Amino acid sequence: MINVSKKCIGCNKCVPVCPFAAIQLIDRKAVINEACTLCGACVQVCPVQAIEIAREEASTRDLTGHKGVWVFVELMQTQAGDKHPHKIRPVTFELLSIGRRLADELGEELSAILLTDKNAGFEKELGSYGADKVYLVENPELYEYNTDIFSTAIIALAHRHKPAIMLYGATIMGRDLAPRVASSLYTGLTADCTALAIKDGLLLQSRPAFGGNIMADILSPNSRPQMATVRPNVMKLAEPIYGKVALTVREDIKIDKSLRRVKVLERELSRETGGAKIEEARIIVSGGRGMKTKAGFKQLEELCRLLGGVVGASRGAVDMGLKEKSHQVGQSGTTVSPKLYLAFGISGAVQHIVGMKSSDVIVAVNKDPNAPIFNVAKYGVVGDAHEIAPKLIEALKKK
Amino acid sequence: MPSMDAISRNLMLDSLKAYARKNISHDFVREKDQANEFPAGILKDMYDHSILGVHLLMVPEEYGGVSGGTYDIYRICETLAHIDLGIATAVFATFLGTDPLNVGGTEDQKKKWLQRIAKENLMVAYAATEADAGSDLVNLRTRAEHVLKNGALAGYRITGNKQWISNGGVADLYTVLALAPGGPSWFLVERNMEGFVPGKHEDKHGIRLSNTAGLSLDGVYVPKENLIGEVEGRGLLQAQAVFGYTRLMVAAFGLGAGWEAVEQAVRYSQQRIQAGGPLSDKQGYTHKLIVPHAVRLEAARAYIEETANRLDGGEHGLQTEGSIAKYSATEAGNRAAEDAIQALGGYGYTRDFPVEKIKRDIKITCIYEGTSEIMEMTIYRGRWQEHLKTRGRYYADIADRMDALHDRNPNVGARSAGLALRALAAVMEECRLQKLTRHQTVTFKLGRFIALAEQAYVFSEAAAKEKYSESVRFDVQAWQAMARIFARDAALAIAAEGPAMVLGASDGAGGLYSAVNMEEVQAAQKGMTADMDLVAAKLKQTFKAK
Amino acid sequence: MHIAVFVKQVPDTTEVKINMETGTLIRAGVPSIVNPYDHFALQAAMELKKAHGCRVTVISMGPPQARSVVQMGLALGADDGVLLSDMAFAGSDTWATSYALAKSVKKLGKVDLLLAGMQAIDGDTAQTGPGVAQQLGIPQVTFCEKIDVDGKKIIARRLIDGGHEIVEAKAPVLFTMIMPKDYVPRYPSFPDVHASLKKPFHVWSAEDIGAEKRYLGLKGSPTQVARIYPPPLREKAEMTSGTAQDAVEKILAVMRREHFIGE
Repeated sequence: MINVSKKCIGCNKCVPVCPFAAIQLIDRKAVINEACTLCGACVQVCPVQAIEIAREEASTRDLTGHKGVWVFVELMQTQAGDKHPHKIRPVTFELLSIGRRLADELGEELSAILLTDKNAGFEKELGSYGADKVYLVENPELYEYNTDIFSTAIIALAHRHKPAIMLYGATIMGRDLAPRVASSLYTGLTADCTALAIKDGLLLQSRPAFGGNIMADILSPNSRPQMATVRPNVMKLAEPIYGKVALTVREDIKIDKSLRRVKVLERELSRETGGAKIEEARIIVSGGRGMKTKAGFKQLEELCRLLGGVVGASRGAVDMGLKEKSHQVGQSGTTVSPKLYLAFGISGAVQHIVGMKSSDVIVAVNKDPNAPIFNVAKYGVVGDAHEIAPKLIEALKKK
Repeated sequence: MPSMDAISRNLMLDSLKAYARKNISHDFVREKDQANEFPAGILKDMYDHSILGVHLLMVPEEYGGVSGGTYDIYRICETLAHIDLGIATAVFATFLGTDPLNVGGTEDQKKKWLQRIAKENLMVAYAATEADAGSDLVNLRTRAEHVLKNGALAGYRITGNKQWISNGGVADLYTVLALAPGGPSWFLVERNMEGFVPGKHEDKHGIRLSNTAGLSLDGVYVPKENLIGEVEGRGLLQAQAVFGYTRLMVAAFGLGAGWEAVEQAVRYSQQRIQAGGPLSDKQGYTHKLIVPHAVRLEAARAYIEETANRLDGGEHGLQTEGSIAKYSATEAGNRAAEDAIQALGGYGYTRDFPVEKIKRDIKITCIYEGTSEIMEMTIYRGRWQEHLKTRGRYYADIADRMDALHDRNPNVGARSAGLALRALAAVMEECRLQKLTRHQTVTFKLGRFIALAEQAYVFSEAAAKEKYSESVRFDVQAWQAMARIFARDAALAIAAEGPAMVLGASDGAGGLYSAVNMEEVQAAQKGMTADMDLVAAKLKQTFKAK
Repeated sequence: MHIAVFVKQVPDTTEVKINMETGTLIRAGVPSIVNPYDHFALQAAMELKKAHGCRVTVISMGPPQARSVVQMGLALGADDGVLLSDMAFAGSDTWATSYALAKSVKKLGKVDLLLAGMQAIDGDTAQTGPGVAQQLGIPQVTFCEKIDVDGKKIIARRLIDGGHEIVEAKAPVLFTMIMPKDYVPRYPSFPDVHASLKKPFHVWSAEDIGAEKRYLGLKGSPTQVARIYPPPLREKAEMTSGTAQDAVEKILAVMRREHFIGE
């Protein structure tokens, strides 16, 4: 419940900040109406602490005994001809990297949760990225991801071993799986975290909301495990320590065939032709509307060839048909975090920026000195991308 | 018809906006504007029952419409004006053409024609204006003569010429005002009737997407059932009866197109860097070219809404109120558009940016449905009677109300509104004592003062409400600051110009100087700059650069 | 066949502004819209209705003004509308919301297909749909762009990491929808909106759906918002301008300094 106490001085500061227009000033006192969602924005701005959201007493659930940080190991299909049909999706290593830091802070163990039909020595890689332990469930029914089967297995493991924290990649698989698990365990889950930390023994989860317009810090104080999904390419990858092997703990979990209620009939994996995938690229040369023509994009491709990068495109450029949608960077495209992001003729709409702002070095070329892209760039060049690109190619070729 | 619930209305507005976003781009409008071309496909979609069906707003539910009220129609007109005033006019002409039927038609006529308009998506035109008959219809020359059959009246033969008829060249159905033996009367004329020939599309200054044409009627025969109301001589009354309402629609046009211009300027001003900062941060720019217009448009909005709600509540006529709304909103919109060009500088003067077209378009709103000067006269006439009837108490009473409001809420400009009203009452009384209304210039000026003072108090009252209407896009602080700014300006204008006007037309101003209370009016200007700073900042926040 | 579609009213996040000083959202003037993914889910349900003659119920949870998105669903062709509205729901996170929505589905009786957008644009969590499925104990197919009903089988095309798959499911099942590339949102016409007022519309409270208050609202939500703040800004870019050749020199210098190319 939300209450306005007698302390209210009618200063009106809370009225405009309410995201839901739920506060009115009546007789010089803030009055909160039924549109209130208890988001707490008003509490933060009240200069006299007159607004209070009364939290009911903490859940009486017993949280003792929940220990350790778990990371869900996501497997992906390998290319035809590879030795094993599966390999570990890179986001798993990012999760282990941050999980290691969290576990160290808590003084607890970091465990990887591996569900597979056949373990291919994955514990070595998992260990080198920091896992102390691998809980391994090996079962023929785990040959491919299935929501019901995977969530059932994880729920069973969580009941058995009581982790304090559990992390998933915010991939399609992770985002399909985690809410099922959270729902069953009646535990808090925070999606798409961009930062994780330990605060007073709790997992402090930071994430963007309202289309990236605002950040929120989320806690799940009264439930365990505290669960989060983390977007790929957001967490720094730790240097692997080769030779550090995780202790494998085999778990026996009964998986009934009848659990497979949704069956896969067909699977098409889009194979990128000509080069690496954009989300894994080290260098991205990206173009926007300012490139004007398909020929302009050909120049960017040439640049990529010289620098060893992948071509990206803004939504504007994709909408104009200058580049295929699979190259689109941004909220409605792919989130990337290369070492170098070269932006040519991209003005920098919010929708684009949220998809590339975690790149290490951003160099932007744009005609308009006030283009928002310069707010996130480390280096800004005011000039015509159309002219500069060919000259840069020339210069690089000379080398 | 009372207005519908806010949710239904806003769903309709959202659909209209979504349609426009997808189908009516700036480039499209620009091309049609240059080609002077009526966008028939757009209008067809707008009438299509499965796409929008805008014309159904004017048709009661029992005849297959959706029964829109005045508030609904004001909101739709405002939204249409944001899109393009030519397209808006094409829709409006159907509304207007349908009006005489709604007001004066017999039950059978309504059933027949409103059902056809709804079902067959008929585009309608309202044909009153002639070469010698505009706001003043005394010289109406189009005639409707009796056609007898076996000694009984069978129909009418209509002969004459109409001019500047919106939808004139493209409508399916025309409501034509003609002089019958019993006096001016409305007739329903179908496009395919013999002897009826629409003229060519005019080459206009603005609203070039609206088809405007003359009509030639050469002995057009219509059966007697096509005489609206089936009684001759009621035409002028039927026309008058809807003025409160139709003028509100044009007011909404001024409001919508005017705001579109202001929004364009506000967005532009945040991107244009001059002398080290964006124009939007420079008082010399915002407080001259932007803020005053936003304030005047919101004052007009408050007045339009008040009048719309009264009409929806069952009040009739409200001719004076409709005239104040139209006069104020269209003049404010026109000035806003003019300054929007200035605000965009050289860019504003080119066709690459939409403001110069808005300026050309919006001028018509100060002309059609009664020119601004006719409005000044109508407003003066309406309120002069009240002044005389109440022995000068009419505005003094409202001023008392404002003083009481000021005690309850000192933030809504009610004090200044009260000062404006008292000054107005004093000026009117001095005009009465000195018989100055024999000068037409005095009466027209009084019309302007009245419009200012009435908007000031209506805006103050609206800004003091606990919950603002759905159309207000600003928070309490911003809207109250706007109300204060408007009321101060109104008080200053009347207190300064009123005595000057009286003195200009007479030998002395008597006790008028002290009665207008200039000292207080000046004192009330305190805080003006801070309020304008606040409004400038809120405008920037509300209309972010895209 | 009975289809339930979940829709949410959200602020248009492309219009959301933020007060950089207080770190709060500025709501005035920001329009409320139906969550675009839910809009597509509604349209997908209407396609199924057209093809198979299903009954469609549209459900939303929110304050009284959220009636708007339910009515939009009705105007687009749904048969019944339900709004879960109760102060007890306020402050619900995705867990508590899923709980309430699942309870409302139970009250509806037999429901074969449940459709929702993959996520809402104000929260971007994608958790509520799967949460409902788990609470109801039914399977889910997330991130779908197309659903076909073929007798008792329901075939869906869905996104997976790095591609697509075609899956088969049986009712009851929940689908969350993404928007396919060629999708054009449909909006109701004026007479559609008018007609929607005559369709059955119910407002249900927590008690109506048999939801226990201890699982609702802030009290029932495992997650808590500790703080809201503006996204951090980067330092202003190091800017250069001049001729195209100057620009090229600058870019090369930067790439050398950051070790992307050799000296």
